[in-house]
Amino acid sequence: MVVDVHEAREAEHAAAHGPPPRRGLRRLTGAGWLRVLWVLPLSWVFATLLVVGLRAALGYEPLWELQVLIVTWTVIVPLAFLAGLGGFDYWLYWISGRPTRPEDHSSHGARTWKDYFRVNTDHKVIGIQYVVTTIFFFVAAGLMAMFMRAELAQPGMQYVDTNTFNGLFSVHASLMIFLFIIPAFAGLGNYVIPLMIGAPDMAFPRLNALSFWLLPIAGLIMMSSYLVPEGGAFAAGWTNYVPLAVNQADGNLMFQMGVQWAGASSIMTALNFLVTIITMRAPGMSFWRMPLLVWANFATSTLVVLATPFVAGSQFFIMFDRVLHTNFFNPELGGDIVAYQHIFWFYSHPAVYIMMLPGFGIASEVISVFARKPIFGYRLMALSLMAILILGFSVWAHHMFVSGMQPWIRIPMMVTTLVIAVPTGIKVFSWLATLWEGRLHFKTPMLFASGFVSMFVIGGLSGIYLGSVPVDIHASDTYFVVAHIHYVLFGGSLFTIFAGIYYWFPKMTGRMYDERLGKIHFWLTFVGFNVTFFPMHWVGLQGMPRRVADYAPEFGNWNFVISIASFGLGASTVVFLYNMVVSWRRGPIAPANPWRALTLEWQVSSPPPIFNFDEVPQVVGSPYEYGTRGARHAVLNGKPTETGKAPEPMEVMHH
Amino acid sequence: MTLVGVAVGVVLAIVAVFIPWLPDAASEQADIIDNVYWVVTIICVVVFAVVAGVSAYAVYKFRAPPGDMDDGSPIHGHTGLEIVWTLVPTILVTGIAVYSGVALAQSEELPPDHRVIEVTGEQFAWTFTYPDVEVEGGRPLTTGELVVPIDQTIRFEVESKDVIHSFWVPEWRMKQDAVQGITTNTTVKPTQLGTFPIVCTELCGLGHALMRSQARVLSLADYEAWVEEQQRLAREGGAIQGEELFAQQCGSCHVLADAGTLGEVGPNLDEALQGADADFILQSIVDPSAEIAPGYQDGVMPTNYGEMFTDPQLEGLVEYLLNATGGGAR
Repeated sequence: MVVDVHEAREAEHAAAHGPPPRRGLRRLTGAGWLRVLWVLPLSWVFATLLVVGLRAALGYEPLWELQVLIVTWTVIVPLAFLAGLGGFDYWLYWISGRPTRPEDHSSHGARTWKDYFRVNTDHKVIGIQYVVTTIFFFVAAGLMAMFMRAELAQPGMQYVDTNTFNGLFSVHASLMIFLFIIPAFAGLGNYVIPLMIGAPDMAFPRLNALSFWLLPIAGLIMMSSYLVPEGGAFAAGWTNYVPLAVNQADGNLMFQMGVQWAGASSIMTALNFLVTIITMRAPGMSFWRMPLLVWANFATSTLVVLATPFVAGSQFFIMFDRVLHTNFFNPELGGDIVAYQHIFWFYSHPAVYIMMLPGFGIASEVISVFARKPIFGYRLMALSLMAILILGFSVWAHHMFVSGMQPWIRIPMMVTTLVIAVPTGIKVFSWLATLWEGRLHFKTPMLFASGFVSMFVIGGLSGIYLGSVPVDIHASDTYFVVAHIHYVLFGGSLFTIFAGIYYWFPKMTGRMYDERLGKIHFWLTFVGFNVTFFPMHWVGLQGMPRRVADYAPEFGNWNFVISIASFGLGASTVVFLYNMVVSWRRGPIAPANPWRALTLEWQVSSPPPIFNFDEVPQVVGSPYEYGTRGARHAVLNGKPTETGKAPEPMEVMHH
Repeated sequence: MTLVGVAVGVVLAIVAVFIPWLPDAASEQADIIDNVYWVVTIICVVVFAVVAGVSAYAVYKFRAPPGDMDDGSPIHGHTGLEIVWTLVPTILVTGIAVYSGVALAQSEELPPDHRVIEVTGEQFAWTFTYPDVEVEGGRPLTTGELVVPIDQTIRFEVESKDVIHSFWVPEWRMKQDAVQGITTNTTVKPTQLGTFPIVCTELCGLGHALMRSQARVLSLADYEAWVEEQQRLAREGGAIQGEELFAQQCGSCHVLADAGTLGEVGPNLDEALQGADADFILQSIVDPSAEIAPGYQDGVMPTNYGEMFTDPQLEGLVEYLLNATGGGAR
C-alpha cells in the first residue's frame, strides 16, 4: 500500500529528526526564536554603536543622526534576525569549514503549527507561509484604504491631516504591491510549481526558505515607518518621485530600505523558479506539456530577475542623495530628476506584468478545469506570455507622457503600449473560446476566474485610453488612473489570487472550503469592487487629481458613493477570512482531486506526501486533455490518475 | 448570442454617450483630444460588447447541470480564429496609434504669432509671469491667477522651484509637469470665455490637495484693460490693492475672515496676526521661516514673495493685513 510506505517514511524522518535537542543554556545558541530573542537587541546595539562610534571618531555632528541610523539598522538588524532564526547556518558552517550536518530533511515538512514559524525548506510549507503572511499585509493595507475612503467621503479635512493621508496611500500601495500581490503569487507558485512539474521540491530549498523570511522583514520595515519621529510614514507615493522623496522626513528611508528586502526576496524566488522549471521537470514534461501556470511563472520570473535590480538601484540612489549627500537627483548640481522616473519605471512597468502574468496562469488552470475543456490555443497562450515579457520592457515611458522627457519618445512608447494589447487580447479571447461548448461549473474559483476576465478587460481597455498620448495628457495623474490600476491589480491580480487560493485550498490544507461562503464572498467583492472603482473613471476625467486628501466640492456626491461601496468591499474580506480560518480547522476532509483535474498536483493526496511523489511521475501528454476519453497527463506508478471523459451531447441542459 | 452582444453594446453606448464623461471643452486642443477620446470609446465599446456578449451567452448556454460528470468538446484551437483575433486588434491599435500621433501633432502645433506665459510651480502655489507685459521697476508682470485672452495660442513655459508639480486645466485638457532644472512647455488656444480651475496633479507634499488656482479667459479688450489695471496696481500699491493681492496669492493657504478666504495649509491669520505690528507682518511675508506659528511646519510657505511683489505691492499687502487683523487699531 502506498499509504503505508508513506507513513513508514514519515516515522523514519521523525526518528532521525536532526541532532539531539539542546538543553539548558545551550538552547540559546540553537537556531530559532530563542536565539533571535537575544541576537536582535544585540545587533541593534551593535549597529547603533557602530554609527555613533564612527561619527565620534570622524568628528561628525550630530552623533545621533537618525537617517544614517535607519539605514544601518535596516541592514544589520534584519541580517541578525535571519542569522538568529537559522537562515544562514548551513552556509556559514560550509564557508567556515566546519562539518555541515548531512541533509536529514529535519527542516522539511510541517508536523505542528510551530513548524510554520521555523526556517523550513519544504516548498509546501513555504508556500503556505507566503500566502498567510501576504494575506496579513493585504488586510493591513486594506485597512489603510478604509481610512483613506473615510477621509474622502466628504470634501474638506475630517479625520487625518494631509501628511497622514499621504502616508496612508503611500504605505497602502507599497504593501499591496511589494508585500501582497507579488509575493502572494510567489507563494502560490511555490506550493504548486514543483507539484505541477513532478519535482520533489524547489531546486534550492534553503534559498527558498531565506527568500520567504526576507518578506516579513520588508513589510515590518515599511509598516514601522509610522513610528519614525517627526513626519511619520513615507508619504511620496509608492512611486517615490524625486525631489519630493529626497526632501521628505526620515520615514522615506523606510520605503527605500524596505523595497531592497522585498526585491531581494523576489529575485531569489524568481531564480529558484527558473532553475526549478528548467532542470527539474519530470520525465516527459517537455516545455509544450507544461501547464500554463508554469509557463506564466517562467515568464514572470524572467521579468523579475531582469527588472527588479532597477527599482533597487533607483531607491539606493535616493538613499545616497539623502545620506551621503550625492547629487544624482539634484538639478542644481548636475542631477537629473526625470532620469529617476526612467529608472523607476524600467522596473515598475514590467512589475505590472509581474503582478499579472501569474494571474493569467491561474486563470488558465481554473477555466480549463471548470469548463471541462482543453485550454483554447495552448501554444499561442504560451507564446503570448513570452510576447508580453519582451514587449513589457519597451513601454515604460508611457507613465511619463507629461513628465517633460524629450517629446519624440512618446511616439514609440505609445506604439509599443498599444501593441502589447494584442497578446493580452489573444489571452482574453482564448479564455472565452475555452468556455465555448464546455460544461461550466461555477464553483468559487471559477467565479473569480470569470470575474477576472471581465474586469481585466475593462482595465485593459482603459489602458488603451491611457496609452493614447493625447487622451493621456488629459487623464494622467487623475482618478481615471486610480480606476485603471485598480481594475488591473484588483479586478485582475486580486481576483486571480482569490481564484488560486480557493482552487488549491483543498490541496494545501487537506480540507474543503465552504462553497456557499465562497460564493457570497465573490458576489460581495464583485459588486463592491465595481461600485467603488467604476465611478472613479468619471471623477477623474471630470478633473479630480489622484493622491489628494481634499477635493473640489462638486466631486462630493460620487466620492460618498465610492466610500460607502468601499466599506462593503472591505467587509467582503471578513467573509473570506472567516471561511479560510473555519474551513482550515473544521472543513470536510478533501479528496485528492475534488475538481477532477488532470494536472499532476491533483494526482497525489491532499495535502501531498512530504516529498510530493512516491514515484517519479512519467508525463505522457498535455495537461488539458478534457473531452478525450482515457487521455492522461501523467502516469504514476501504482496509482490511478485522472483521465479525460468523453464529451456527451448537451441535451440535459437547462429546464 | 449576437442579440446579447448587441444589447450589451446598446446599453454601453447609452452609458458612454449620455453621461457627460468629459468636462466642457474650452480650447482648440480639447476638441482634438475629445475626438481621439470618442474614437477610442467607440472601439472599446464594440470590443467590450463582443467579450460580454460571448461570456454571457456561454454562461447561459454551457452551464453544466448539477452533478454533471462529463467533459466538454475536445476543441484544442482554431488557427483561422486565432489569426483573426491577432490581426483585428493589431489593425485597431495601429489605427488608434496613427490617429493619436496625428492628433498629438495637431494639438501641439505652434503658430508664429503665439504669446508666451511662464508658469512656475512651487510648494504650494502657482505663479504666472507675462514676459511681454512690463510693470513698475522694469520687471515682467507676475500674478497668482492666470488671465489669458481668448482665441490666441499661448505657449506655457513651465518651471518648478522645488519638487515636481503638474499644471492642468481640465477644460483645456492640457497638462504638463513642472520639473526643477528644466523648462517644459504646453500649448493651449482657449476658445471659451470663463473661469476654469487650475489643478496640480503631481503629488508635491503636504499642500498638494489644495494647490489649486484658476484661469480666467477674457476677450482681448478685457484682457488689455486687465493688463493696464495690473500695471496701475503695481505702481500705486495701497490697502485696496493689498486686499486683491491677498485673495489672489495668500487665500488658498490662509484663513482670513476679512477677505473671506478659507485655506487651511498655513496658520489662520485672524489668530496668528492678531495685534501684530507691520514689521512682523512684513517679516512673515518675505521671510516666513523667521518665526513658525505653533503647530505648523517650516518650509511649507514659499520664501520668495519678497522678490515677487513690488515694494508698493508689499506695502499695500501689509497695510491691508494690519487693518484686517486689528493691528492697525493700536
